[in-house]
Amino acid sequence: MSSAAELDQDIAALRAKAAEYGARHSVIEQVTWPEGVRVAVNFTADFDAMLLRRVLEEPPMQLAKGEFGGRVGIWRLIELFDSHAIKATIFTPGRICELYPEAVKAASRSGHEIADHMWEHRVPSEPELERDHLRKAKAAIERLTGKKPVGTRSWHTQALLLEEGFIYNSHDTADHRPHYVSKPDGSGPLLNLPFHYVIDDAMFFSFAWLSSENAAQRMMDPDHVEAIWWDAFMREYRQGGYLNVCMHPFVSGRALRIAMLDRLITRMKALPGVWFPTVEQVARHVLKTHPPKKFNTPAA
Amino acid sequence: MPWKDRYTISDERSLADSDIHWPDGKRCCFRVVVDLSPPCGPSGITPKDLTTSDAHFAMHGGLAGVRETLKRYGLRATFAVPAVIAEIYAATIRSLADEGHEIAAHGFKHEDVSQLAREEERARLDRTTDILAAVTGARPSGWFSLPRPSDKFAGGALSPHTVDLLLEAGYDYFGNGLADDAPHYWVSDFASRRAILTLPYYYHFDDQYFLLFPRKGTGLENPEGLYRNWKAELDAQYKRGRHFAMVLHPHGIGWPSRLPVLERFLDHARGLPDLWNATSAQCARHWLASYPAATHLKLEPSIWRDYPGSLS
Repeated sequence: MSSAAELDQDIAALRAKAAEYGARHSVIEQVTWPEGVRVAVNFTADFDAMLLRRVLEEPPMQLAKGEFGGRVGIWRLIELFDSHAIKATIFTPGRICELYPEAVKAASRSGHEIADHMWEHRVPSEPELERDHLRKAKAAIERLTGKKPVGTRSWHTQALLLEEGFIYNSHDTADHRPHYVSKPDGSGPLLNLPFHYVIDDAMFFSFAWLSSENAAQRMMDPDHVEAIWWDAFMREYRQGGYLNVCMHPFVSGRALRIAMLDRLITRMKALPGVWFPTVEQVARHVLKTHPPKKFNTPAA
Repeated sequence: MPWKDRYTISDERSLADSDIHWPDGKRCCFRVVVDLSPPCGPSGITPKDLTTSDAHFAMHGGLAGVRETLKRYGLRATFAVPAVIAEIYAATIRSLADEGHEIAAHGFKHEDVSQLAREEERARLDRTTDILAAVTGARPSGWFSLPRPSDKFAGGALSPHTVDLLLEAGYDYFGNGLADDAPHYWVSDFASRRAILTLPYYYHFDDQYFLLFPRKGTGLENPEGLYRNWKAELDAQYKRGRHFAMVLHPHGIGWPSRLPVLERFLDHARGLPDLWNATSAQCARHWLASYPAATHLKLEPSIWRDYPGSLS
């Protein structure tokens, strides 16, 4: 039987862990957007095409499913965003720059941000190789766009991202609002501009996402998803918040979903004060108007 | 690594909507594929698979419901038929061909060929071609490898040899590719540009994933989702002037509770002027004549390089 002291130790250990995790996250309670803006909406596309399927050693048909994103989907998304004069952010693995250079160049020419999505959609555990991968990814993007990426959607080591000049990540979801993630003592903060998995096309339209069982498949239709996303948008609109819509060209690039996104964007644009910037623009605005809190000296 | 082997199977960019033209000024190709394989595992149809109520209904009551519906709407479909099913139900298969439907190959017994040795796969493929030719009186023009409900992935399986074997056996097209939503070329060798025409398939337009999938008792019945996906894709592709394909399973859609969903969709499709209802073979013939690989397969040189510590 556990003694009272042992149970107290359990509580103390859990309390310390929760406090440490909490201290690493600093949420911006209410972002002040530029004059006239009520809500910022980031359309973001993870352009990994078949690369993740290849990393996971999935069979040829799965790769072909991803290939749709490079041959068809990415071009339709660029066309959709351009037709609405929206600036989007394309998170692109370095290797995809080598497979689909024309698509990446076209997106960049249209004024969309090209940001990092890891060299080959994985982060090596060896620190030197991780740095090598991140630098290769940066170089591959810069070669096509003439511009160093400043944003990432990755699980790279945060200290490395800061060293390599990244100003934001768009990955974890400790909150729906922009927030800083730092070491527990408040040092080394990096801005996170989060997307939630409910606002991610792959959760509704992709079969066998990351080894989910067949009985767990819930393949939705575009109307179903449009309703969920519209409700999320209206909630953020009313509270002056932030919405990050995560798409994959091989998923959202299908004709039926491009048509849904076209309707969704048209409905959003009909409201006053909706801002469709790149993630980089949001990051620069937030960093300027809501900089991370000063380094906190831990209580003695 | 030469070119983009083991990453891509086709060229870098699909044909633009405006470059796609269908016969007689038709606006959008409309294909119906009917899968005549009963539910089975990766080893293909076993004796046990043929003694289920689903298997019986697929070739009798369900098939009658589907073919009557197709007839009422004046539609020609492609029936993807495993060779063993063609042998067992030869008269039924012949009567489908006599009604103007296309009979295409769907494996020897709808087995997963991905692990077969080349010679074994060739033997089964050649036997399949012979059986279908004997049953229908004509060699099949196309080959399907559609997914089974128990498959981990919803795309169908092929081996590293399948495309080459199909080309050697004289097939015009492979019936289910996912890299495009218009016909495209599946390249088996980039250096020699050896490629087979591939017709699009997508699991969101396949009835089996919406009707008590993966099996009765554990699946959800979601006919409205199926209808909405069919309709949204057809409307979008019709507007673009591209291509639409749906896959039906008589043991799935053929029930009285489900046929109304199909009818509601076909009522909608019938209202779209200039839809081109083609069998897969007709679609393939048009594409091979209008967009041959010699002029329309554009394989860009790769800038891919191998690095230590990276995938090759």
